[in-house]
Amino acid sequence: MNRLITLFLTGASLFLTTAEAVATTIPDEPENRERLKEEMSESRPVTGIYSLELGHRDVLATYLSPLHYTGSVTGVSGSWSKAMPFSPEKAVMHFDTRMSFSNLLNPAGTATMIGLYGSFNWGMSWRHKLPSEFQLTLGGTVGIEGGAYYLLRNGNNPVEAIANTGLAIRGSLSRPIKIGKLPILLRDEVSLPFFGVFFSPEYGETYYEIYLGNHKGLAHAGWWGNNFRIDNLLSATLDFGRTSMTIGYRYEAYTQWACQLNTKIHTHSFVIGVVPGGIGLKKRKPHIPASTVYSLY
Amino acid sequence: MKQKLLTYLTVLMMASGFSSCHDEPDYTNDIYGNFDALWDIVDKRYCFFREKDIDWQEIGQTYRAQITPETTSIELFFICAAMLDELQDGHVNLSSRYDTSYYRKWWTDYPQDFNMRTLEEHYLQFDWLTTSGMIYKQLPGEIAYLYFPSFATPVGEISLDYVLAILHNSRGLIIDIRDNGGGLLTNVGTFVGRFINKKITGGYMIHKTGPGHDDFSEPYPIEYEPADSYRVKWDGPIVLLTNRSCFSAANDFTSVMKSLPQVKVVGARTGGGGGLPFSSELPIGWSVRFSACPLMNSEMECTEFGIDPSPGCEVHAKEEDLALGKDAILDFAIDMLKDYPLPEGDEDKSN
Repeated sequence: MNRLITLFLTGASLFLTTAEAVATTIPDEPENRERLKEEMSESRPVTGIYSLELGHRDVLATYLSPLHYTGSVTGVSGSWSKAMPFSPEKAVMHFDTRMSFSNLLNPAGTATMIGLYGSFNWGMSWRHKLPSEFQLTLGGTVGIEGGAYYLLRNGNNPVEAIANTGLAIRGSLSRPIKIGKLPILLRDEVSLPFFGVFFSPEYGETYYEIYLGNHKGLAHAGWWGNNFRIDNLLSATLDFGRTSMTIGYRYEAYTQWACQLNTKIHTHSFVIGVVPGGIGLKKRKPHIPASTVYSLY
Repeated sequence: MKQKLLTYLTVLMMASGFSSCHDEPDYTNDIYGNFDALWDIVDKRYCFFREKDIDWQEIGQTYRAQITPETTSIELFFICAAMLDELQDGHVNLSSRYDTSYYRKWWTDYPQDFNMRTLEEHYLQFDWLTTSGMIYKQLPGEIAYLYFPSFATPVGEISLDYVLAILHNSRGLIIDIRDNGGGLLTNVGTFVGRFINKKITGGYMIHKTGPGHDDFSEPYPIEYEPADSYRVKWDGPIVLLTNRSCFSAANDFTSVMKSLPQVKVVGARTGGGGGLPFSSELPIGWSVRFSACPLMNSEMECTEFGIDPSPGCEVHAKEEDLALGKDAILDFAIDMLKDYPLPEGDEDKSN
């Protein structure tokens, strides 16, 4: 656990230290000159993707209702990644955060459920160049996510809270293509949590009882058998040079089975985003630093 | 390359398969589907089958036999409502756009033992103070009277300070909750905190741990803390007036108050409602409410069937007496308190 925290803190500090840091005043000594030369030769910009996500969500939360609620979901997400200094071509670190709001109706349209959901993940991936310009990344993330679904007409069981933390496998497969002169990166990215801890009240337990202090049995160890989740983003990133635009489709599934309570949340979203600074596919004039290692491809 | 790609896709497809585990019943939105959904929800989640000796299986069969493919949704509603009445539970409702079913016999089959007009005219003389939903006044003989008709809204702590401070110079306090149909359980703690000096276990709560009729958790103690030291408290004798229409949170309040040594419960047995209700719904859009979490008293006894008055304190107010301006329950309480001394330091003021 301590090693994990150390790795996280080290990674976070490295992430925040961008190539621009070389601009600070450094004493003119031979070893510093050598280091400066090395750093000037390579840049590792942070690739940030800022997206708006609009879609459809289906929620079954048997603590609240035996019926599926469906409706719209609106979300914003941010994803930041950067090549790591110790192995810029191979190692990439990333932060992802997402928030969504959903407005759902029961099948008869007589009751409304609203949901608020957020997640934050940090991780490292290793990328491998494959034949035919394919790139595969594999790695892991640690994250937290939480939210609540509020069924407005319920009395003593009006809300299902969702809280989850754990580890996930993360992978992606990408390949650049060109349509005319426009370089496009096609990418499918999957995050698959495999172990964690999640919250669930017991079958008929009220939040009032939890409020009174009965916290027994609220935390559950999660694995694929009782807390299967998957987040798959299929995207095309159009690189215009200084800026890129990404469009995509996200499928997200959250399932939870604990205390004979079933939760299934399926989301299909259209994603549109912007990548300030581009992703490095479009050729640009040579400049200093001579080598730029982008994190996406 | 192809091998890796295939592995990748296989993992994805396998992973997607996990999300279909633990399937739930898919109720159809037709006459039978809605009936079955209602029966199933109650079967899995209602909490008093054993206490009431209810054969839900047999009841389901009886009422299901009454529906046919030609049954209209309105007819279905009343068949379902009649089936729910078999639970004999005031916390059970079926709500549609045209009606909300309600089992009323928990109070209609009993004397009312209360008349608001009699209280207002003959005991309060149409002159009382009102705050935070509470009606209060000092009655002749320096007896404090507080009527609380509903727990539906939160009781303001500051309002309670004023009420108890204004009534302080009294021999005893009558808290009248007759016709109080319940509301917020948190009000129970707000009130009880003014009458205790140390933490008490006022009752227990249990909940269902699964769909079986006997799947219940261990009782969890419900503890009540004294109000903050800067709040106005009452340490004198208290008489709590109840009737059959005291239900749910009022029933729980009676249960907790009865466990306090300085409190006597006077009047009639309360109406019960000792199960915290949950809500659910049917494919047609109707909502259903039902008791889901039993509340027990400090002796771990079920409170669903009501709380009896203290020994020797069962009193009924006859309709004819109430019509003549005589409330036997209130008179009994006044008689109990009239000989108590006034609080120390207040004796002189009464003289």
